[in-house]
Amino acid sequence: MRARPALRPYLLILPALLLTCGILYPFGLGLYYTLFDFSAAKPRPDLVRLHNYETVLTQDAFWHSAWVTVLYAVGAAGVETVLGVAVALLLHRSSLAGRVLEKILILPLMIAPVIAAIMWKLMLQPSVGVINHLLEPFGLGGVQWTDTPAGALLSSIAVDVWVYTPFVAILALAGLRSLPLSPFEAAQVDGAGPWYTFRRLTLPMLWPYVMVAVIFRFMDSLKVFDIIYALTEGGPGDSTVVLQIRAYLEAIRFQRYSFGISYTIVLWAVVYLAAMVLVRHLGRIQRKAAEVSA
Amino acid sequence: MSIALRGVVKSYGRTTALDGLDLDVRDGEFFCLLGPSGAGKTTTLKAVAGLERPEAGTIEIDGRDMRDVEPYDRGVAMCFESYALYPHRSVYDNLVSPLRSPRHRLPPAEARDRVDTVAGLLGIGDLLDRMPGRLSNGQRQRVALGRVLVRPARAFLLDEPLSHLDAKLRQQMRAELKAIGDVRRTTTLYVTHDSVEALALGDRIGVIRDGRIVQTGTREDIWYRPYDTEVARAFGRPRINLLPGTVTEAGRFRSADGAFELPLPVRAAPGTEVLAGVRPRDVSLTGDGHRLPGTVYVTEVLGRSVEVTVRIGAQALSLVADRAEVAGLRPDDPVRPAVRPENLLLFEADRPHGPGRRIGRR
Amino acid sequence: MRKRLWGWLADAALLLYFVFALFPVAWMLILSLKPADQLFSTYFSFTPTLDAYRTVLGDDEGIPFVRFFVNSLVVSLGAVALSLVVGLPAAYASARWRFKGSEHLMFTLLSFRFAPELTVIIPLFVLYQKLGLFDTYAGMVWVLQLVTLPLVVWIMRSYFADLTPELEQAALLDGYTRRQAFFKVALPLVRPGIAAVSLLAFIFAWNNFVFPLILTSHEAQTVTVGALSFLGGDRPKYHLTAAAALISVVPPLLLALTIQRYLVRGLSFGAVKS
Repeated sequence: MRARPALRPYLLILPALLLTCGILYPFGLGLYYTLFDFSAAKPRPDLVRLHNYETVLTQDAFWHSAWVTVLYAVGAAGVETVLGVAVALLLHRSSLAGRVLEKILILPLMIAPVIAAIMWKLMLQPSVGVINHLLEPFGLGGVQWTDTPAGALLSSIAVDVWVYTPFVAILALAGLRSLPLSPFEAAQVDGAGPWYTFRRLTLPMLWPYVMVAVIFRFMDSLKVFDIIYALTEGGPGDSTVVLQIRAYLEAIRFQRYSFGISYTIVLWAVVYLAAMVLVRHLGRIQRKAAEVSA
Repeated sequence: MSIALRGVVKSYGRTTALDGLDLDVRDGEFFCLLGPSGAGKTTTLKAVAGLERPEAGTIEIDGRDMRDVEPYDRGVAMCFESYALYPHRSVYDNLVSPLRSPRHRLPPAEARDRVDTVAGLLGIGDLLDRMPGRLSNGQRQRVALGRVLVRPARAFLLDEPLSHLDAKLRQQMRAELKAIGDVRRTTTLYVTHDSVEALALGDRIGVIRDGRIVQTGTREDIWYRPYDTEVARAFGRPRINLLPGTVTEAGRFRSADGAFELPLPVRAAPGTEVLAGVRPRDVSLTGDGHRLPGTVYVTEVLGRSVEVTVRIGAQALSLVADRAEVAGLRPDDPVRPAVRPENLLLFEADRPHGPGRRIGRR
Repeated sequence: MRKRLWGWLADAALLLYFVFALFPVAWMLILSLKPADQLFSTYFSFTPTLDAYRTVLGDDEGIPFVRFFVNSLVVSLGAVALSLVVGLPAAYASARWRFKGSEHLMFTLLSFRFAPELTVIIPLFVLYQKLGLFDTYAGMVWVLQLVTLPLVVWIMRSYFADLTPELEQAALLDGYTRRQAFFKVALPLVRPGIAAVSLLAFIFAWNNFVFPLILTSHEAQTVTVGALSFLGGDRPKYHLTAAAALISVVPPLLLALTIQRYLVRGLSFGAVKS
């Protein structure tokens, strides 16, 4: 096959383009469904235009879920960032043990989040759970981990932190290893203290790497599903019903398809907005980091 | 094989690499394309090779338009400045690569012979089993050159093929390169930023600047009739002296500070602001010519000869003299260097938008 | 002296983190080795037994876990293979020629990475039942492209972009066609990248939960959903759940150890290189 030179790149991406359309099609179909009142109970739906979105946005349940989702995302991404950077700094500092520990570091990240949630569920269980047993000597036994609203949310965040802290740590570590040496040498010559060096050099130059990790983590945790589904199923009550869980309950459990998809579309819009803001911020701190290292 | 480029334009994003470039390379000649980095030399080669598609203009090889002709159908061989050696293959496999391709396939035994011949020619015969990653830059460059020479080609396109060799090897290779039979017989477009190399190798030289050819000609053309001050500056070390001044009513050159006058070999309108150019090797301390009053500013030994910078009024004039002539000269000693009017080149004064062009017959 | 104290504190903090990171896995191991009758009576002292693994792998509980395991394998391998075949040329094209079509494709693929899965799954849930793709391998391989294709295209683009185009250009001038230049020069040189991205895509496909949860029921169900089903039912079977969980994390963990070096670029979609 001899292609016209100008056509060649298009031919090469054609299969991927077709496959992408294959994935875009259900997406478009879903968007289309949201304009109807399609459900298992109503297989011949009527056009309701934007009524589904109107209902979603005026429902207390939505705002509750949105609030829980944001709490979860901010909490998880926040703790992971701080903990991940700390772990990276500590690993970077220690040499021999660091190399060995680094191998272990990725372990939680390679475990399916749903499996991780199962593990933690078993540990937090009131009957066989080992956590309460271990806490007993400290007078903290008998905590109802996943049976109180706050406990359930915190437990879910803990699982997220357990799985994804290595993600931040790995990217931060890669950043630390690639920092240019010359600014540090200059600082040493100038007699700068370790705290000053860290605040004024390490952190600003490291920040772009951390920011990439934060963007991934924040946007992913906005659409958390697996961990909550396995750990709390949204309970107790609806205290941990994040947006994707709500969409699942509406669409799959209650089979109100149109309504359920409307939830995910709104979530998608939120994720998209968050991404825009964060990516713009990333650009800014990348420029700043470039200034520091120059 | 002849190569002709007409009005070739190529840009990358907002930067223009080739800006309406015209170039003629005649059949069988060794053509040197000389210019500073970023002038568009490599882009020119790649356009000829078919690796870059120009936005405008035509490229003809032997009078045939090369638009839509694939690189492997153009019959040209190219040596990349980056070497472009296949890092996952041994030196031998790199060298034999063209001879295994569908275009130039040879039976393995013949290919082996051919590679051995070329490797011997380039002095890389004992590197054949090495991987490119374990070679010095100079060795890599020779392997890259070898990959070009093993195959039959209607034209060689060589992008700074000697730039990474050390000085001694470069001089030796420069001499040998032109002696290689295939190179002597085949049209060669040779890109370099080194004017000495261009003068030594080029049957003709093209000076490229900002994506255009400024001047094309033999080494004599370029040397004695440079198009403008920048071409004049590019050739010859020490650099040509360019003395600022004006043309007097009598048609002579008067230096800007009025310290001296010189007779001119060409006519120019009185009052014109000009630069008078004279190459340091054309100025002597003892020979005849128009003598200028000056004092020694600094001397610098260049080996057998010495570069003497003489202060004449506010001007500095550098000249090259024999060691014997300069013996005993101290800074501030008075000297009277001689300039022969026929060696003078007259240029318009440099402007912010471009170097001054030479005044006089072409 | 003070410096030394800080050093110890730092090491202690690091150690603490790793205890936190490793303990759940260790506890699963303990739990899975417990006999059923000691499940509730002890924590750390018990008579270890492989009964739980025997039960899980013997399908004794009416949960065909071995079948789920095979399903995971088939579906993940299929998804990665399809993504490679389709994604490699696209990655190459978009690394070599920046043109509108490829930028749109790249952006769309990236937005898949951040789109809520249910946006696509709920319509697919309806669509698959109409098309007969519900609970089939083909249906799973298709939907898993959402996970594997963006990964393959983005990461491989960054590998191809790192490769100077002059190598392929040299091949063209050596007399090879563009196709040969791709297969003989470009492809062998990004082989480490291909290996890394394949493994990573496999791991992510294997670990996926929400697609099989909604789009399969029994025939094509995978280990992640299967492991969770041990928690269902009237009688809690914690030791079986632990065993199933451990079995299902073995393949991704083994693979992860081999791609450590390439993980950074993979996890950041090519945004960070190390």
